[in-house]
Amino acid sequence: MIDAAHAPLVSVTDLATHFPIRRGLLRRQVGAVRAVDGVGFTIPRGRTLGLVGESGCGKTTVGRSILRLVEPTAGSVTVAGRDVRALRGAELRQFRRRMQIVFQDPHGSLNPRMTVRRILEEGLVIHGMGNQADRTNCMSAALDRTGMPTTALDRYPHEFSGGQRQRIAIARALVLEPEFLVLDEPISALDVSIQAQVLNLLVELRVRLGLTYLFISHDLSAVEYVADEVAVMYLGRIVERAPAATLRLAPLHPYTIALFSAVPSVDLRKRRSRIVLPGDVPSPANPPAGCRFHTRCPLAESICRTVDPPQSTVGDHVVHCHVAARELERAGGDAAAAAHRLMQSLATQPAEPID
Amino acid sequence: MMQRSHGFWVEAWRRYRRRPLAMAALAFVALLILVATFAPAIAGTKPVLCRYKGQLYAPCLGYFDRRFEPAIFTKDKFRGTYPRNLAEKDPGSWAIWPLFFQDPYRSVRANEWPGRPENPAMDQGRPSWTNPFGTDQAGVDVLAKMVHGTTVALLVGFVSMGIAGTIGIIVGAIGGYFGGWVDMLTSRLTEIVMCVPTLVLILAILAIIEKPTIWHTMAIIGMTGWTGIARLTRGEFLRLKGSEYVMAARAVGAGPARIMLRHILPNALAPILVPITFGIASAILTESGLSFLGFGPPPPSASWGSILNGARSNLGMWWLVLFPGTAIFLTVLAYNLIGEGLQEATDPRLREARK
Repeated sequence: MIDAAHAPLVSVTDLATHFPIRRGLLRRQVGAVRAVDGVGFTIPRGRTLGLVGESGCGKTTVGRSILRLVEPTAGSVTVAGRDVRALRGAELRQFRRRMQIVFQDPHGSLNPRMTVRRILEEGLVIHGMGNQADRTNCMSAALDRTGMPTTALDRYPHEFSGGQRQRIAIARALVLEPEFLVLDEPISALDVSIQAQVLNLLVELRVRLGLTYLFISHDLSAVEYVADEVAVMYLGRIVERAPAATLRLAPLHPYTIALFSAVPSVDLRKRRSRIVLPGDVPSPANPPAGCRFHTRCPLAESICRTVDPPQSTVGDHVVHCHVAARELERAGGDAAAAAHRLMQSLATQPAEPID
Repeated sequence: MMQRSHGFWVEAWRRYRRRPLAMAALAFVALLILVATFAPAIAGTKPVLCRYKGQLYAPCLGYFDRRFEPAIFTKDKFRGTYPRNLAEKDPGSWAIWPLFFQDPYRSVRANEWPGRPENPAMDQGRPSWTNPFGTDQAGVDVLAKMVHGTTVALLVGFVSMGIAGTIGIIVGAIGGYFGGWVDMLTSRLTEIVMCVPTLVLILAILAIIEKPTIWHTMAIIGMTGWTGIARLTRGEFLRLKGSEYVMAARAVGAGPARIMLRHILPNALAPILVPITFGIASAILTESGLSFLGFGPPPPSASWGSILNGARSNLGMWWLVLFPGTAIFLTVLAYNLIGEGLQEATDPRLREARK
């Protein structure tokens, strides 16, 4: 997969972002919310990594940490050969041009007191790009690329619909001509009828402009549609990572299997057994020992409660699970066979809460 | 589709205009500003414009500052009485007189104006045709005093809240935006200043200063009255610094100054303006209270509160309470109504409900 043409543009190793919990008069730190706790991946140039997980699993924090919008606690982040965590002050601000973000809520991400022109122009002004006329051309081009008329420039965000606003937000990211774009649930806040349009726009832009995406979503089908590779997050960790097609056919982690079983299907003939996970996600301020998923995993064994599962690799398929590792070994490295056995045992396992 | 785009303040003004009481209050304050500006032309004994010995003069400017009164009238020994002197010393002279011939600083003598009797002094000065609002113990006309006192009433409000607003917004913005120990410092500073009783501080400082003026009072009201504004600003900055558009601005490369001034402040300004308006009202009350107690601006500068002070020694002179008291009440009420109107015109929640 990784050849010279597809050298990684973004690489993240052991990224951790903890938010301190402070209490009392002296604001002593009494603990930390481990929103992201040891995440690693690489994204080749021009490719899309999909990051999925339920709300609160830390996927948004991963995106923001890479862009240094929140400060990571540990780990390293490299974008286009630059160590992002080592950048300071003006250096960082200059580098921001090359990595941009589109937020989930286009109502919240556009300043209501600014016209579209001022919103789009801000980045250009900060980075001293072009004169007045150049900037106007640049902004018109960006709006045009996102399917918005140039007349939008002198209007305020509240005059547009959710889908249009999201296009403006995408245009804001594009005017700076970045190489890497974090898409933080870019379609979740939109009407279903608009979601597909924006999704297609994003795919088209990636091809046309040669962009690299980190696509964050809780919507597995959207992620499958745009992503080359998918990483599944649970409670601050990546539990499984594989090329999109592989993951759908042979999910190895019990959590991934449960996620896929929840995706609605239009094929009525297909026999579906829905796996309902017992209990709630534990607090990231006090994550469980061993495998973080063991409190909800129907296949959990005693080893899961004490030992953090190491990484098992089959080709470009990576999974962190004791049970999956054993099944893989038994199947002689045949991921499809192992996945099949895991799915069967999950379907037959009575879902009982483990505490 | 192609209507003109309106910014936030244009929309707010539209909503404000729909409130008749708030509009009336605004008109009242506008009237006060007019009265204050043209006070010497409304009530006074010095010609607005006159021709004397072949030259044009505007002696009424002497009401703003002694130095503006043309020196020739001192040289020719007018001693402040213009009508008779003008006629005697230059029969060819003419003059445009103020609308109401009464002086705010001295009693008018008999026949100073053709056919006009001397102002009654002591408790005899009840309202009459020559003195509609009566005269005080020294025989000075109350209406003329009130017209000239409008300046003080307005200045107290604007200057003290100008100072308070500036300090409050700066302190609150810094504390709210940077957080951490900076916030700790600014919050404690705010609390300390909050503990200082304004009235007592003013009395103490006026006792220390050799020649206290109205400006000292305004400065002290301003320097102690910013705490509420600082707290509110801090709250708004805390709330808005976590908003997605602020994060988007950071992602684009904006520095702290730019974010605070261009992104947060315009969005925080509306709720901050409301307590500033209420602050103007309370500053006027504080000044009136001080003047009533006899700690107001020393003569000759007139203030509504100092007229009230005159009634303290003789409660039978009800006109010294009724007229300035009503003026203070109406002005304070007007500012409160403006503040309320502003609140409703800019509050997004109320706005939605009204549509």
